[in-house]
Amino acid sequence: MGRKMKDVLAKSIIYLATGITLCVLLFIVGFIFVKGISLVNWDFLTRDYNEKVFYAFVQEEVVPMTIDAASLSQKDPYDKRYESSLEGPIYIENIGAAVSKVAYKNNATEKEQFVFSYIEKDSPLLSATDSTGKKLSIGTDYILESINGTDFEGLSLEDVAAQINHETGELKIKVVQPGGGVRSNIITTLYMVLVSLLIALPLGIFGAIYLTEYAKPGRLVNIIRFAAECLAGIPSIIFGLFGMAFFVVALKFQISLLSGSLTVAIILLPVIIRSTEEALKTVPTAFREGSLALGATKLQTIFKVVLPCAVPGIATAVLLSIGRVVGESAALLFTAGTVAQIPGTLFSPGSTLTVQAYYVAKEEGNIELACAIGIVIIVIVIVLNILSRITSDKLNVFNKK
Amino acid sequence: MNKKIKFNTKNLDLYYGDFQALKSINLEIYEKEVTAFIGPSGCGKSTFLRCLNRMNDLIDSVKIEGEIIFEGQDINGDIDVINLRTRVGMVFQKPNPFPMSIYENIAYGPKCQGVKDKTQLDTLVKESLVKAALWEEVKDRLNKSALGLSGGQQQRLCIARAIAMQPEVILMDEPTSALDPIATAKIEDLMSKLKKDYTIIIVTHSMQQAGRISDKTAFFLMGEVVEFNETPVIFTNPADKRTEDYITGRFG
Repeated sequence: MGRKMKDVLAKSIIYLATGITLCVLLFIVGFIFVKGISLVNWDFLTRDYNEKVFYAFVQEEVVPMTIDAASLSQKDPYDKRYESSLEGPIYIENIGAAVSKVAYKNNATEKEQFVFSYIEKDSPLLSATDSTGKKLSIGTDYILESINGTDFEGLSLEDVAAQINHETGELKIKVVQPGGGVRSNIITTLYMVLVSLLIALPLGIFGAIYLTEYAKPGRLVNIIRFAAECLAGIPSIIFGLFGMAFFVVALKFQISLLSGSLTVAIILLPVIIRSTEEALKTVPTAFREGSLALGATKLQTIFKVVLPCAVPGIATAVLLSIGRVVGESAALLFTAGTVAQIPGTLFSPGSTLTVQAYYVAKEEGNIELACAIGIVIIVIVIVLNILSRITSDKLNVFNKK
Repeated sequence: MNKKIKFNTKNLDLYYGDFQALKSINLEIYEKEVTAFIGPSGCGKSTFLRCLNRMNDLIDSVKIEGEIIFEGQDINGDIDVINLRTRVGMVFQKPNPFPMSIYENIAYGPKCQGVKDKTQLDTLVKESLVKAALWEEVKDRLNKSALGLSGGQQQRLCIARAIAMQPEVILMDEPTSALDPIATAKIEDLMSKLKKDYTIIIVTHSMQQAGRISDKTAFFLMGEVVEFNETPVIFTNPADKRTEDYITGRFG
């Protein structure tokens, strides 16, 4: 075989490998987008996973319907959450909204429910308040459960419409905001990123400073470095088990944001130490000598000259860490829990997006929802990447001329 | 003319691990003069220069024996190194301005010493830049990064930075070897001006440079001072054969 042939062969193998890699990546991302994109909308991002029950106080006011009957019947409340639309919609004048009866499905339970399918723009529902006078918003897929104490369960849509029309004055309506959103998971994820970075960044950066600036090269440094590398190679489920045994049980932090953050912080440490160390090593010795020759102390040299030069590298560490926290699920399953809620304090549990994706896929078999969460995760990672890149460019002392 | 001795080294030996880089150096450096160290690469002249402000402390394997008396005190003993370095400034071979603004570069040293007063810093920055003959070129861009300056300007900035500490001595380690002839000429001019106020010790590879600017010259070879005398004497009437060979270009 000639040399030319070999070249061509080698080249095609390289191209093929690159092509396969790219295809796999595109296929996975594409799969997740195709599966999940239909569920991603504003409501998905702003609602919690659990449905929210509340009482709304509405001043009864007759509002005539402004659309014709044909277009009203087009207002089908059916979407992925409902199995089927049963009756309606019927327009109810004294609340200025149309109601339908549907078979409602959430968390694998199925129930007949009344939902708002159309709301007039002058409807008194839009100026509803809660018992303290705070403004509430009622949307077109909210569930109607009772009015002035009369429960609607088991009633037909006509009876419900008649019942509502019969009431006058201030109406007290029990409404349920449908769940299925990921707002709490997004916020928990951001909390988790914040708290774990707050713990891991100072530790990692100071550790790296010790290793590069203070430690005399020798056995101890090699052992520390080796330990950090081993730490980086351990699967996160092991850290999860450790976190559960140590933070959750032994230190009595409970399954909480704090336990989760501490566990993830341990996972982040080696990444941060390694990248910061690399960054510090690239700072020219000439800067250190220049600073010391001006009578600066070692600490002043490190904080005023060396660290600012290492900012781009440290930003890389932050970037990798964010990716790691957002992507972490195994360790958090044991330490931060699977409760879809916004953790009120450091000691309350909350599930991040990845844990939630695992939960809905495994416990509910809802692959579409998991894929929708996947889209949110991908977008968050991309946005955070861009943000940290911009800040690192802004802080890069070598970029300023 | 009776000048004061600034540095007096007595039997200075320096080892990098097992390798002896300096062998029993005895030199007297007078104040408000330019003293040049010449010699082939690896002869120990830079190493000796770095002894004078204890920059060799940064290298772990270095061991120093003997005395360097600076203003009546042995600086190899138990002294305040930070204080020594504020009194003995240094300019390096490659211009090494910090990646900060021109102003911040000059103000860095004083700030590290705890000077906080803005007007005091402002005057210090201006004075230093004027003394380093850089003020006219940079006065409109003090807040721009020092990395945007040319190599020669950067080196003068480094000199200004050293001056801002109001040192007694300025050590220069081949300060023009990375610069073009025009920038070199400017720095040489600057040195002859600065020697009125400061003791200047310069390591150089260029014998012409040593001849042009220095008052005294020491010729180093293999870690020893072969000859130390008034510069004209060294260049016209060297006592040692090896010095003559070196300055006439027969080796090195």
